[in-house]
Amino acid sequence: MSTPPSHLLIVPDLGQLSRRSLLKGLLVGGATMGALAACAPSSSSPTASGSAGVGADTGAEIDLVTIALPGSLSSLDVNTEAGIFNYYVAAIAQEGLLQVEPDGTLTPALAKEWKRVDASTYVFTLRTDAKFADGTPVTVDDVLYSIEKARDPKASPGTSWAWAGVDTVTQTGADEITIALSAPNVAFEWNPTAAGALFVTSKAFFEKVGTLGTAQSLILGSGPYKATAFQPDSYAEFERVDTWWGGVPKVKKVRFEFISDENARLLARRSGDVDLAFSVPIGQLDQWKSVAGTRIETASDRSWAGILFDVTVAPFDDQHVRTAIALACNRKDIVDGVLAGNGEVALGLPAPAVLATAVPESDARTLLGTIPQYDFDLDAAKAELAKSSVPGGFTVEWTYPNSGPQLGRAAQVIAADLAKIGITVNVVEQPLEQWLASIGDGVHGLSYMWYFPTTGDPGELVGYLLGEGNPGKFTDDTVAAKLTAANAETDPATRVAAIIAANAAAAQKVAQVPLWWGVSSTAVDKSLGLTDYGSFFFVGPWGSRLYAAA
Amino acid sequence: MRLAASIGRRLVATATLLLALSFLVFSLLYLAPGDVARNLLGARPASPESLASIREKFGLDQPFLTQYWHWLSGALTGDLGESVRSGSQVTDVLGQRVGLTLQLTVLAFVIALGVGVPAGIRAARRHGSVQDKTIVSLAVVGVAAPGFAVGLVLLYVFAVMLGWFPVYGTGDTPLDRLWHLALPAVALAAGLAALVVKVTRTAVLRELESDYVTFARARGLTPRAVARLYLTNAAIPVLTSAGLLLAFLFGGTILVETTFSLPGLGSLLAESITFKDIPVVQAVTLVVAVVISLAALAVDLLTLAVDPRVRRAGLT
Repeated sequence: MSTPPSHLLIVPDLGQLSRRSLLKGLLVGGATMGALAACAPSSSSPTASGSAGVGADTGAEIDLVTIALPGSLSSLDVNTEAGIFNYYVAAIAQEGLLQVEPDGTLTPALAKEWKRVDASTYVFTLRTDAKFADGTPVTVDDVLYSIEKARDPKASPGTSWAWAGVDTVTQTGADEITIALSAPNVAFEWNPTAAGALFVTSKAFFEKVGTLGTAQSLILGSGPYKATAFQPDSYAEFERVDTWWGGVPKVKKVRFEFISDENARLLARRSGDVDLAFSVPIGQLDQWKSVAGTRIETASDRSWAGILFDVTVAPFDDQHVRTAIALACNRKDIVDGVLAGNGEVALGLPAPAVLATAVPESDARTLLGTIPQYDFDLDAAKAELAKSSVPGGFTVEWTYPNSGPQLGRAAQVIAADLAKIGITVNVVEQPLEQWLASIGDGVHGLSYMWYFPTTGDPGELVGYLLGEGNPGKFTDDTVAAKLTAANAETDPATRVAAIIAANAAAAQKVAQVPLWWGVSSTAVDKSLGLTDYGSFFFVGPWGSRLYAAA
Repeated sequence: MRLAASIGRRLVATATLLLALSFLVFSLLYLAPGDVARNLLGARPASPESLASIREKFGLDQPFLTQYWHWLSGALTGDLGESVRSGSQVTDVLGQRVGLTLQLTVLAFVIALGVGVPAGIRAARRHGSVQDKTIVSLAVVGVAAPGFAVGLVLLYVFAVMLGWFPVYGTGDTPLDRLWHLALPAVALAAGLAALVVKVTRTAVLRELESDYVTFARARGLTPRAVARLYLTNAAIPVLTSAGLLLAFLFGGTILVETTFSLPGLGSLLAESITFKDIPVVQAVTLVVAVVISLAALAVDLLTLAVDPRVRRAGLT
């Protein structure tokens, strides 16, 4: 079985958030801790959008929306740098063949229609009215060229992995492109989107500028906005265009300010300089809410945080050890306490919001309920450890990325419980890059996995963490068979059932310990409305979904 | 002639230093944990083929010395390579950043000297007074407080509470730029000014206690003439320390630029190190090293101009 090519995993901000923890807690540290202790767990469903109480669309135009980006971009070209915020920024200017609606539905973008001939063959018919922001028409040649570029790992380290399972891309009609895969993969449709791995640009433009996404070259796409200025690690500016097939957006200009430091971002909001801020840190939520005229929109960010075992590293090759650790994780306390309710206890790998792109969310939750759970029970954990190869316990290092302080706090909570059954865990913070390199390095048997998908393919995380070449080196025939079946299954409900079955089989052997599914909070000025805000809002043409609220 | 030879020797020494530095930085980054190909791909399911092809593109599959030689031979011909992180030419990346950092450091330097030197002289003249003690205490605070902490406090007070200065950004026109750089420059200058105060105060005090000052006063020279005498002499240690202080300033830009979200060399260096973007880190460290070396040379030439004893001994 080959690794499904549609696995989209974007760790937020590769190297961009790494400075964020630098000043963490300095000015507002005390308040942060207070907020954590005082904030009651949220009872609302994390997947629901929190846009209640926003005024109606006044129909007015908005001159400028300034957005605080928690990190910085060094390139506007997602093919080059593919952090989650690169996606958010590029999504207002560039398109793929299909696009993702805020609720995770796939709809036409540059392709006016598409057909899945079978699980390995996809036919896209391009719309003929699409134009680039410079007024030139989007041709089949441009699309083929953009795909060719995205497939080349040297030109596109950020996106080429998604095209690894593609056999051929050919023009099969005047406005028709056929993509043939080397192995069946029904989730392929997520890839030719600007939330996945296709950012169509003009061939002529690319040949003129050479390197895309720099301060000099910018990017050219067919979306509702065009890039007008970019200073790496400082700001990027976009202006609306009248060439987009979907109409003219209400906001004339969108400016992204890259403010890595979380305290500086909060100060910028207090001084009224920013209208919208992505990914407000959990510890700062109360402070953001207290800024006059600010509302917080929350939605599942579909992220998964959990413990990843390398099953080839002793003593984690022993299932009793893995089970003991799973039983010692007080997931509810972590979600209620460390996350202050901004998350949901993860029952398995795919988040309900991701499964909801294929089946109704209630069905998804029922299915997730069939996965074996290891509820917090220290006595059972101790008994399980007694049966293992290391009954007296052991010492292990557990690293977490500095861009996720909540991961560190959760690890401390778990380490304190593990200490009670004889396992000593040294929790170590590392720069994001160093942490990345430690996953599946054959040395760390116990790691964190923190995974942010941009697409809504229900099989994505399962394929990555349980499929061939998975970082935990976990192998199981039942799991492999279910995953192969899922990749070729065209009926969404049957496919989701196969994915959950694979997940359940792996959970039986404690391949991972799911901890929580994440929720992300966006701070928005009350005068700004977001149409249909949801989990996938910022990976579609969201610039056209902003409006002036009464 | 002797001076030209001295300068020539200094330049050769500087070039050797740069070479050694470039090798050291390259080695450290090579040994640092992390993998460039992984950083570029993120925690995605990467096929061994795509990892191999990225490693090949950046020459990471070559032996260490070959990699270094490849970089060095390029750098000697003026080709600093391509940034791994952004795909842009390193010279372009530097070009976009160097101006801002230069403006920031020069502004901070001017502020630090403008405040530090007069305060140091004043403290020395009023040695032991309340004024002296106040200045010295403030200087201790200034040295002890990290630039980014001062920066956050300044941001909170002057940008948020009073709204006099912007919270982030660089400004468009020169005047706007000055307005944007004012707070970061003050934050950067705080520690430096404190050092300047201490150096100046010590230097002036030592001169004030010298026999020639007592003698000059006894001869009935005007206070202004006496001051000219001892201030000229006290200027030598202040000047010679200025080179070191410049290095201190560049170190400070890393934190201050991060706090104020300024896209300068400091923030570039911080991000490039964690990403293991070797071509950029090499270029930034070398640029900074060149600036510091040249500043040190300029300081020595200045000392030469001020101090006749050094002038006779020649430049070392």
